[in-house]
Amino acid sequence: MKFRPIPLLAASLLAVLGATGSLRATVDDALAYALEAMTPYVSKGGQGFTMREDTWGGDLAAGDQKAIAVQLFKGNEYWFCMGTDVKGATVSVHLYDREGNLVEESDAWQRDTFAGARVKPKKTGSFFAIVKVEKSARERTHWGLVYSYK
Amino acid sequence: MVSSRPPAWARTIPFRMTKSRIGVLLAAFLALAGGLPSAPGAEEPPKKINLKAFPATTVEDVVVPIPSEVFNALDKLGTVAWRSEVRTVSSKSRPSDRPRIALLLGSVIADGFLAVQAEDVERVIEIGKTVITLADAISVKQAVLPHCNAIIEAARKKEWRTVRKEFDATQGKVRQAMDALKDTELSQLVSIGGWIRGTEALTSLVLRDYSNDRAELLSQPDLVALFDRQLSVMSPRLRESSLVSKVRAGLGEIRPLVGEATISRKSIESINSVTKRLSRDILPADS
Repeated sequence: MKFRPIPLLAASLLAVLGATGSLRATVDDALAYALEAMTPYVSKGGQGFTMREDTWGGDLAAGDQKAIAVQLFKGNEYWFCMGTDVKGATVSVHLYDREGNLVEESDAWQRDTFAGARVKPKKTGSFFAIVKVEKSARERTHWGLVYSYK
Repeated sequence: MVSSRPPAWARTIPFRMTKSRIGVLLAAFLALAGGLPSAPGAEEPPKKINLKAFPATTVEDVVVPIPSEVFNALDKLGTVAWRSEVRTVSSKSRPSDRPRIALLLGSVIADGFLAVQAEDVERVIEIGKTVITLADAISVKQAVLPHCNAIIEAARKKEWRTVRKEFDATQGKVRQAMDALKDTELSQLVSIGGWIRGTEALTSLVLRDYSNDRAELLSQPDLVALFDRQLSVMSPRLRESSLVSKVRAGLGEIRPLVGEATISRKSIESINSVTKRLSRDILPADS
């Protein structure tokens, strides 16, 4: 995995969001975090990725994971971003092929309530985005997942 | 693994982006433009996992890609004659049977993605108008109107990335509105109609300049299996519709071909022939 330092402004914003307590603990909020994580890659002047309208979410117990089947095309690049609104929880997302082999990630990160993986599949076919709540103090933790392509 | 359809919706909900989130996103973007942070010490993922060990309830059905995803991949494999595949269904065309409207709506949205690839402003605008007419015919016009207007406006400015995004949003809103009307089956027909038209165009383009790399883009067995499953459990009213029966039979012909290790030119020709036939069947008589 590649790691990048946390931008100060981002840290401040997240702290403010967390402090307001105004965000409801729903999958909708978890999705907002996933979308937030995707924003740098799909914005104008960003990396040129186009975000898909379809997004996914649910809730999982700490340590539990879920597989979401996706059809990917060789030649495209994809970003998968996951988020949760549960403070203190950590999440992860990785891509595997049909045989269960980890797809080589050209970039990936995981920090606190966000995680992302960038892949450029070497073949066309079905893959699985494995989303996992790594740890959480809550019995169930809401999560959201979005993906983009270019 | 994917073929075992899990009843997993109790805990997993598909979402669409809502405007209420846009403010949060814009604010967040300012903060996150420098890229997101990574935690030191984050665990490396396992190199191999046993997908069969996943309980069925934790495996989601394959996500249906929009035509633009596969077109984007094809575009990277060399020059593509997009204009040769662009088609317009008259915006005055208004079939009355709902399954046909749903399939046609998906098909026309796929036409929209094709016209975007061809950067054909006039066609994109005409397609935007046709989408409004069809959406009106199944009572979901209000849901798509802002997006269709955005398509037309962005096409005039040749902002193709925005047009692509708005076509995706249009399809999403149609399906969301149909789901809200308890018309999930029609919503599935929208996706199937889009896939048929997108695949017809894709196979025509691959046949113009066949290569293994181009043919591999048709490797979508789980997607076709998903469509077949959805059609097989539709209500008798829909299943017995002559058009839906034809679609199911056609997908049955295609299914083994898209599962081949290397999809031959002959198989691509067969897929093209079936999807062309289905596209014609979906079109209303007056178009």
